[in-house]
Amino acid sequence: MRTQRIMAAAAATALAAGLAACSSGESDDGTVTVNWWTWDERQAASYEACVPGFEDAHPGVRVEISQYAVDDYFTKLTAGFVAGTAPDAFQNSVPLLGAYAGQGQIMALDDLIAESDYDLSVFDVGVDSWRYTDGKQYGIPLDWAGAAVYFNQAKVEEAGLTAEQVRTMTWNPEDGGTFDDVVSRLTVDENGVRGDEPGFDPDNVAVYGIGSLASGDFNGQTSWNPFVSTLGWRLGGDAAAWPERLPYDDPEFAQTLDYVRGLADRGLMPGFGQFTVSGIEQIGSGSVAMIQGGTWDAATVTQIPDVPVGIAPTVEGPEGRMMISNSNANNIFAGTAHPDETWDWVSWMGTVDCQTAAGVEGTFLPSISEALQATVDAQAEQGIDLSSFVQALDNGELYPAPPTVNGQEVVDTIQPMFEAYFTGERDEDVFAEMAAASEDILAP
Amino acid sequence: MTLLNSGPAPARDLSTGSGAPRRRPASPSHRGDGPLAWVLIAPALIGFLVFAVYPTLRGIYLSFTEFRVLTPPKWIGFANFQELAGDPVFWNSLRVTVYFVVVAVGLTVIAAVTTAAVLHRLTSSTVIRGLIILPFLISGVVAATVWSWMLDPQLGIVNAVVHAFGGDGVQFLTSREWAIPSIAFIHVWKNLGYTAIILFAGLQTIPPQVYEAGRIDGAGETRMFFSLTLPLLKPILALVLVLNVIGAFQVFDLVSVTTKGGPANASNVLQMYIYSKAFGQFDFGYASAMSLALFAILIAITFLQMRLLRANESEQA
Repeated sequence: MRTQRIMAAAAATALAAGLAACSSGESDDGTVTVNWWTWDERQAASYEACVPGFEDAHPGVRVEISQYAVDDYFTKLTAGFVAGTAPDAFQNSVPLLGAYAGQGQIMALDDLIAESDYDLSVFDVGVDSWRYTDGKQYGIPLDWAGAAVYFNQAKVEEAGLTAEQVRTMTWNPEDGGTFDDVVSRLTVDENGVRGDEPGFDPDNVAVYGIGSLASGDFNGQTSWNPFVSTLGWRLGGDAAAWPERLPYDDPEFAQTLDYVRGLADRGLMPGFGQFTVSGIEQIGSGSVAMIQGGTWDAATVTQIPDVPVGIAPTVEGPEGRMMISNSNANNIFAGTAHPDETWDWVSWMGTVDCQTAAGVEGTFLPSISEALQATVDAQAEQGIDLSSFVQALDNGELYPAPPTVNGQEVVDTIQPMFEAYFTGERDEDVFAEMAAASEDILAP
Repeated sequence: MTLLNSGPAPARDLSTGSGAPRRRPASPSHRGDGPLAWVLIAPALIGFLVFAVYPTLRGIYLSFTEFRVLTPPKWIGFANFQELAGDPVFWNSLRVTVYFVVVAVGLTVIAAVTTAAVLHRLTSSTVIRGLIILPFLISGVVAATVWSWMLDPQLGIVNAVVHAFGGDGVQFLTSREWAIPSIAFIHVWKNLGYTAIILFAGLQTIPPQVYEAGRIDGAGETRMFFSLTLPLLKPILALVLVLNVIGAFQVFDLVSVTTKGGPANASNVLQMYIYSKAFGQFDFGYASAMSLALFAILIAITFLQMRLLRANESEQA
């Protein structure tokens, strides 16, 4: 009898304790937890470097960093908006600004910026991409990304070229400039004949001079954009933000794309769909000598075992170097229970100190030039030369991707049309259709 | 107690015949069964209401709205359906889907009937019967991933074989001509076994005397297949055809993994387009309208098939 009573009491206590544990999510000591999400596992690790300093400076506030793979990230985020369980702040991508700000899911930050005397001019790139059509600032930039050329140093030497020649490639749509010469020289057919030698067989190529530039991507960030932009073409036309049509019907655009597609016909570049693996794997396998990739590839592509990879800037065209860049930013969920603490964290991440601390591993390129320089210096010690990225930022060789309304619809609509062009199913006439389709989606 | 008492009830119901209008059983043995019955069917009923009826009704409602998830749906009448009528991508998707269904179902049924007949007439090994169904047990995503490696233009074993026989490499999943046939082939590979097993079960219901009689009349295996097996298998064939057509119309996993609808919409089947509209562009209203259209198409096709095949009339009866 007595044992039974003790056991009952013990069980009741255990139950009560369990319930108490369940309900203490908000924490008894008044600590506020700020949840922050990113889709990049490497950046999630990098930004942990900012947390201790922040928590020391803000007693009573904890930061919880979570990472979800990019394929699920935005679905999970949307589900979170609906259920009210979205993170307090999160990394976001420009194409989604229109949808989130337009539907009131993220907070305009102007008041918080004004109250805390936060200085947006610390950023060298990205601020304008995060201003919505209402003129308000919805995002604090985190990073920027653009294109770069990665080349197999051994293959460049074998071809009798120098790294300097690759780093100073010129280009024009008529004869392709020295870019064309380098690519031809680097291409080797199965008989060992180079692309610029007589008897070259374009149908049986062993090593392509350049990885595929045929992309269905609507802004061509790592494919045709760094070429056509050197002619003065811009994705948004005259509009730096919220364009109402994308000028794919520009004659210079058609001329550039014709040149790019011609590289495949000439056997200097793999055809559309010929490779299904990434550019990094193509250069790693030795089937291409050079690729144009994203700046985000730098850390990975330079680590390929036994393949020494050099980094070069994009081509220099008639109007110098130019490419589109996109800047991810921090957004604050409109439904957050702790706007002030969340702003503390978001503004903390947007400081030179945090960007420097998180950026040293080279997992992203900070939007702040000073922090970027620290990244470049740290990477240089590892033997990775990112100096061309600093030049691009300091010399104004990038223009920000214009935010668009219905960004995903533009992506999905334009992609099949580009694919039809690159597979040879359609010709130049598709560009007028693409411009018209973009107007259908973007014009109010 | 109630359970035990209700035992003889069905027999009595049957015996009263179906001609007279049925009344609710008034006998004392049924009194009080109602609540228990509700409790017993509640799990199934609640599941059906929550996971089938409500989503269907809500889907129909959403197809008349502009709904982008984060803000409440806005009633817009038939605007989605008007847009649908003039959407070239939708019509292209419909054509692509029908092309896929014809190729996939045609090949599946022909191969499955052959396989089932061979199994039925030539082997009694349960191991072989078991092996036939193996691909069906593999998840669609896994099958699609493995096949997309095997069909890869540069690294795939299939192209290695093509090269060994002196052929040029084929871009199975990245060219317009080959994308749908290649996905259809993967679909056939995956579903052949399941269909063959259903047909095999159907074959076993055919009495062996029929074949004995056929053999006495001097018919060979081929003749017996066309004159005896096929006609007697008709109800099962109809079932298999309906199931396969519906299954093929709803293909998604294979496309999503192998081509994502490309190149240039060449394999953008309806389900893929609906998915990208709903979960890519968050245009749930329009996606619901397309789903409703697909639903209507499936009902019409199923009805037509049943009529054409007169599935209810078994020639064995």
